[in-house]
Amino acid sequence: MKNFALGKYVPFDSLVHRVDPRVKIFATIALLVAIFLPQETYSMTFLVEGVLFLLALTLLFISHVRFRDILLSLRSLWFLVIFLLVIYIVVPKKENVLGIAWNLNGWIVYWDAFAEAGKIVLRLVTMIMVTMVLTATTKPLDLTYALEWYMTPLKVVRFPAAEVAMTVSIALRFIPTLLEDASRVMKAQASRGVDFEHGRLWQKITGLTALIIPLFVSSFLRSEELANAMECRGYDPRKKRTRYRTFRLHVRDVLGLLLVAAILAGVIVLLAMHIDLFALWGIHAL
Amino acid sequence: MPITFRDVSFTYAAKTPFSYEALKGINLQIDEGDFVAIVGRTGCGKSTLIQHMNALLNPSQGCVEIDDFHNDSDKKKRTKKVKPLRQKVGMVFQFPEYQLFEETVEKDVAFAPKNFGMKPEEALQKAHEALGEVGLDESFYTRSPFELSGGEKRRVAIAGILAASPEFLVVDEPTAGLDPKGAETMMDLFRSIHEKGTTIILVTHDMDLVLKYCNKVIVIDDGEVAEITTPDHLFDVDVERYSLQSPLLFSFASSLLKGGLAIERDQVSDVPSLAKEIARCIR
Ligand SMILES: Nc1ncnc2c1ncn2[C@@H]1O[C@H](COP(=O)(O)OP(=O)(O)OP(=O)(O)O)[C@@H](O)[C@H]1O
Ligand SMILES: [Mg+2]
Repeated sequence: MKNFALGKYVPFDSLVHRVDPRVKIFATIALLVAIFLPQETYSMTFLVEGVLFLLALTLLFISHVRFRDILLSLRSLWFLVIFLLVIYIVVPKKENVLGIAWNLNGWIVYWDAFAEAGKIVLRLVTMIMVTMVLTATTKPLDLTYALEWYMTPLKVVRFPAAEVAMTVSIALRFIPTLLEDASRVMKAQASRGVDFEHGRLWQKITGLTALIIPLFVSSFLRSEELANAMECRGYDPRKKRTRYRTFRLHVRDVLGLLLVAAILAGVIVLLAMHIDLFALWGIHAL
Repeated sequence: MPITFRDVSFTYAAKTPFSYEALKGINLQIDEGDFVAIVGRTGCGKSTLIQHMNALLNPSQGCVEIDDFHNDSDKKKRTKKVKPLRQKVGMVFQFPEYQLFEETVEKDVAFAPKNFGMKPEEALQKAHEALGEVGLDESFYTRSPFELSGGEKRRVAIAGILAASPEFLVVDEPTAGLDPKGAETMMDLFRSIHEKGTTIILVTHDMDLVLKYCNKVIVIDDGEVAEITTPDHLFDVDVERYSLQSPLLFSFASSLLKGGLAIERDQVSDVPSLAKEIARCIR
C-alpha cells in the first residue's frame, strides 16, 4: 500500500533537490509545454521529443531516483500503448506519408499508425518522467509553499491562497498518517480473522467495512483534535502569516531557469519558423 | 505448545532509504501456562516482536514456531493457513478501541468468532460469555460501541478477542490511559483468564504489574533480548540501564531485607503480600 512509485519523494541531497521549488514548478510546466508543442514532421517530432526524453532521464539520474521506480511508474502505460496502436490501426489518418506496413486482402495498415502511437507514448513517458523529477526532488510541503507563492497575486481577487495552501499541506501531511492508521486497523482486524487477501467476495466486503469505519472514526477524531490544537495556538486564517521557510534564488536557480527558458524558446522557434533541421543538413526526412 | 523464536530479525521498510532494523537475532521461548511480561524502553521493538506471534509480520530472518505453524522468513517454509493461528493467538493492540465498527456491542464482539467459522447463534453466545468475563452486563449488548467510555470500549475490544477462545492472549499495554482502579480490574481479568488456562503475554511499562502478576519477564533492549528472568530477580540486575524502574514496593522490601528483616522477597508481589511477610517476620 505504501508503494506509490509516482509522486514519491526521494530523500537525497542532489543538485536538483536543492533547486528552489518555485523554479522547479515553473521548469516542469515549461518542459511540459515543450513536450506537447506539435512539430511539423515525424523526424522533427522524434528529434525534439528524444532530446527532452534524454534530458528528463538525465535529471532523474542526477536526482538519484532508482531505475526500478521509473519503470514501475511507467508500467501502467503498456495498456495505453496497445490501445493507441489498435485505434490508429483501425482508424487510419487521411494522409499517410510513411508508406504501407502491410496489405492483407485490402486491409491496409500504414507505418503512420505506429509512428503516431509512438509519438504519443514518447510524449507521455517524457511527461511522466518530468513530473517525477519534480515530485521526487521536492518535499510535498515545499511544493505547497511554492504553489502558495504562485497564488499570492490572486489574493487581490480575494482568493484565499494561504488557506488553500494550508489545507493542501495538512492533507499531504496526513496521507502517511492515514496509511499508518489503515495498516494498524488492518492488522487488528486480521487478528480478528478478517482475510483481506483471500476469502469470498462477501467476506471481503465485510472486511472492508471493518477497515473503513474505524478509519473514518479516527480521522474525524484527529481532525477535531487538530482544529482545536491549531486554535489553541492562535491560528487565525485571516491573519497575515510570516513564514519559517523563505525562498531565495541562488545562482543555480537562475541557471536552471535560463536553461529551461532556452529549451522552451528553442522548441517554439523551431515550430514558428517551420525549421526542419534535417533539411538544413541536407537530409530528406519525413 | 510453546511459542519459540529462533534467531528472528525484522527490518522495517527493507531496501529503502528508510530501512530500520527493529529486531536483531531474537531467541526466546514462551511456554504454555506462562504469564509473561515483555518490557523495555519506548521504541525497543516490543510491538514488533509480538506481531510475529500471529504472523501479522513475517521475520526478515529466522523463524517463529507456534505449535505446527511456522512463521518463517523463507516463504516456502512458511505455513500458508494463518486463520487457525490467529484464532489460537489472540492479539489485543495498543488502544484496541479503534478497531470497533459494528452497530452494536454484541455484534462487534461476535465478529471474530464468526470469522473463525462459528455459526452466528454460537458466536453470539460466545460474545455474551466474553462480555460477562470483562464485566459488561446485558445492558451493554445492544448499545453502540461508539457511545461508550474509553475504558468500556477497551473492554469490548478485549472481549472481541476473548470470544474467539484463544490459547495465547497477547496484550499490548492494556492499562495505558486507564485509571488505577480500572487498570487493576483489567489486570485481574487477565489473571482470571490465565487461571482458566490461557497463556498471557503482556507488554507493559508498569513494573508494579510485572511484579504482581507475571511469572517471567523478557527485557528487550534496542531490538535484542537483554534478559529473560523472573520478576523478583529482574530488579536485582541494573534495570535502569533499560530505562526501567524498580517498583517502590520492591525497593522497600529490599531495604527491609538489607536492614535485617528476614522476609522472603519472592513472596512479595503486592502490598498485602508484603504486609503478610513483615507480619510473619516480626511475630
Ligand atoms: N511501520 C514502521 N515503519 C518503520 N519503522 C517502524 C514502524 N513501526 C515501528 N518502527 C520502528 O521500529 C522500532 C520499534 O517499534 P515498536 O513499535 O516495536 O516499539 P515498542 O517497543 O512497541 O515501543 P512502545 O513502547 O512505544 O510501544 C521503533 O524505533 C519504531 O520507530
Ligand atoms: Mg508498542
